[in-house]
Amino acid sequence: MGEIAVRGMNLTLGYLRGSSRKEILVDLNFSLFSGELTCLLGPNGVGKSTLVKAILGELTPWQGEIRLKGKPIHSYSNENLSKQLSVVLTQPVFPGNMTVGQLVALGRIPHTSWTGKLSFADGKVIEQAMEATKISYLKDERLGEISDGQRQKAMIARALAQDGQVMVLDEPTAHLDLVNRFEIMGLLHEIAKSQNKAVLVVTHDLEIALETADRLWLINCGLPLIAGLPEDLVISGQINKLLPSEKFKFSVERGRIESSTSQVSFQLSGSPELIPWLKNALVKAGIFSLDFPIHITNDPIAINYQDHAYRSVEHFLEAVNK
Amino acid sequence: MSCIFTDNSMQKINPITLLFVGLLLLVMSFLLNISLGSVSISTLDIVQGIFSGHWARASWGQIILNYRIPKAVVAVVAGVGLGISGLQMQTFFRNPLAGPFVLGISSGAGLGVAVLMLAGSAFGIIAFGSSINPWAIAIAGSLGAGIVLITVSLVAWKVKDSMTLLIVGLMFGSAVSAIVSVLSYFSGAEELKLFAIWSMGSLGGLVWNQVWVLLMVCVLGIVPVVASVKSYNGMLLGESYAKSMGINPDRLRWLMIISTGLLAGCVTAFCGPIAFVGIAVPHLARMIWRTSDHRILFPATAIVGAILLLLCDAVAQLPGSSQSLPINAVTSLVGAPIVISLVLRKNFSKEF
Repeated sequence: MGEIAVRGMNLTLGYLRGSSRKEILVDLNFSLFSGELTCLLGPNGVGKSTLVKAILGELTPWQGEIRLKGKPIHSYSNENLSKQLSVVLTQPVFPGNMTVGQLVALGRIPHTSWTGKLSFADGKVIEQAMEATKISYLKDERLGEISDGQRQKAMIARALAQDGQVMVLDEPTAHLDLVNRFEIMGLLHEIAKSQNKAVLVVTHDLEIALETADRLWLINCGLPLIAGLPEDLVISGQINKLLPSEKFKFSVERGRIESSTSQVSFQLSGSPELIPWLKNALVKAGIFSLDFPIHITNDPIAINYQDHAYRSVEHFLEAVNK
Repeated sequence: MSCIFTDNSMQKINPITLLFVGLLLLVMSFLLNISLGSVSISTLDIVQGIFSGHWARASWGQIILNYRIPKAVVAVVAGVGLGISGLQMQTFFRNPLAGPFVLGISSGAGLGVAVLMLAGSAFGIIAFGSSINPWAIAIAGSLGAGIVLITVSLVAWKVKDSMTLLIVGLMFGSAVSAIVSVLSYFSGAEELKLFAIWSMGSLGGLVWNQVWVLLMVCVLGIVPVVASVKSYNGMLLGESYAKSMGINPDRLRWLMIISTGLLAGCVTAFCGPIAFVGIAVPHLARMIWRTSDHRILFPATAIVGAILLLLCDAVAQLPGSSQSLPINAVTSLVGAPIVISLVLRKNFSKEF
């Protein structure tokens, strides 16, 4: 376990709306470790962004405090904080005229003089940041002419070039396709490990977080923040705290959230990896029980039911529905 | 195909070299501007006259030194001032439609001048008659712009959100224009015509003393810009990112208000509201230099602004040659088609 980069102690956060105080998060305790990728998960509206704002020093806690490297975050000036902490946000704000190289160079702003002139050392850091995010080949491309995934990687490179101990990313993969999401989270994991940075990612992708994160933070309304290794949270069933109602449940064997309402009674046998998919299709078709046993085989694919062998799930469902 | 080719070759030109090319064009535009007018004097004669002090005709020296050069200098200063304040506004508000007048500066100056010119007849007092000292107009314009700007600043001090500031600025502008309309409605035909002429803008008619004042104030207005070039680069990614990079948006907002107040306020007070330049010039600079680095963009905008106003003023001299068109009409008539064609040719929103 690395050293603690950011620590929250008895934190209560909220907003003032007119004269009324709106409490959002109460009595929160957490530690963000260096060299680890931490994912913050929680339903919409629970206060993830509020917590991020507090860590960025934009929001003063009502109670408790956040410490960055052992010192209260409010004792840092805006400028010193920017040398310790960098961010990537969800909304894609970017000037189309800028090249990727120029964007990454913006990360050096806290380290340069008032003219913004880059030294040789700055150039080195920028190059390394682009290498770490594997976008060196995009250096002279304009931001308006590259894909969303590449642009987000460039934003991560910019945050990396800022060279702080802590990186906070607020849903960096929200607009991206599945492959890009995996790639970017993998990249962040790599960066956290190789550069010993504390990386905090707010995300809704439970599956990808389980796959790539070193540590998960779960928050939900009225509950304390739960932190732990993803695997521990799955084994102990604490991961279900993310799911407010009984309608959905985290399936330990399949590693994903499943509907738990339907009472199904099939007699299924055969290839274990195919059975859940068949069950899935039956439930979606509104079939919750069948009178006879089903046997499914993999090679060749065949669904055996009542002396018939069906070649695809579709054919099988058609026959059953008749 | 040829279009792609020129694009690629343009990318290879060093932006600094391009700045020097721009500077050269600026000098040429300046010479072209002062050689045109009701009396045609060749560029050669002008250069000879300026450097040797001997003019082919005595009246030429008078025309060039006391009429055309001050006017050209005013065109340069106004182009630089309006362009730079427009660029600041566009970057700060992250809005391609922002310009130097979004915080109500031109309406404020208009109000000051309207009070000076129209209030007399509107309230039934004969205050100045038909001839008003240009100093009085400049002072009234500065006062008006200053008062509106201070009011907007007070609001800016209270609201921390820059979009709110933009809306408040526009609302103040409309409210102040409404007061001017009321004043116009009640004033006499003679004064109304004077005011209408002022509102069409004019680069000429200033004596050297006034040109110096304009120049000094504009130099003063550029100081805060130079001091915050890095912050403007950071603002390209929006306020949140800028803040995370150690930039103080509140400080930048004040510097911007002071700078545009001095630049646009002073230009408007002396020359009247010159439309269009402040919005279009930063876009032109972005298209030509293809960069969003403000260390290049600020000088680029200044050069393009100066060239554009010099050429517009030259065009204003041409037709008939004895009379000149109001500068405001020319900037919009000549400038708008240029910008529209550029916008259609290149992908405009991508460049911003």
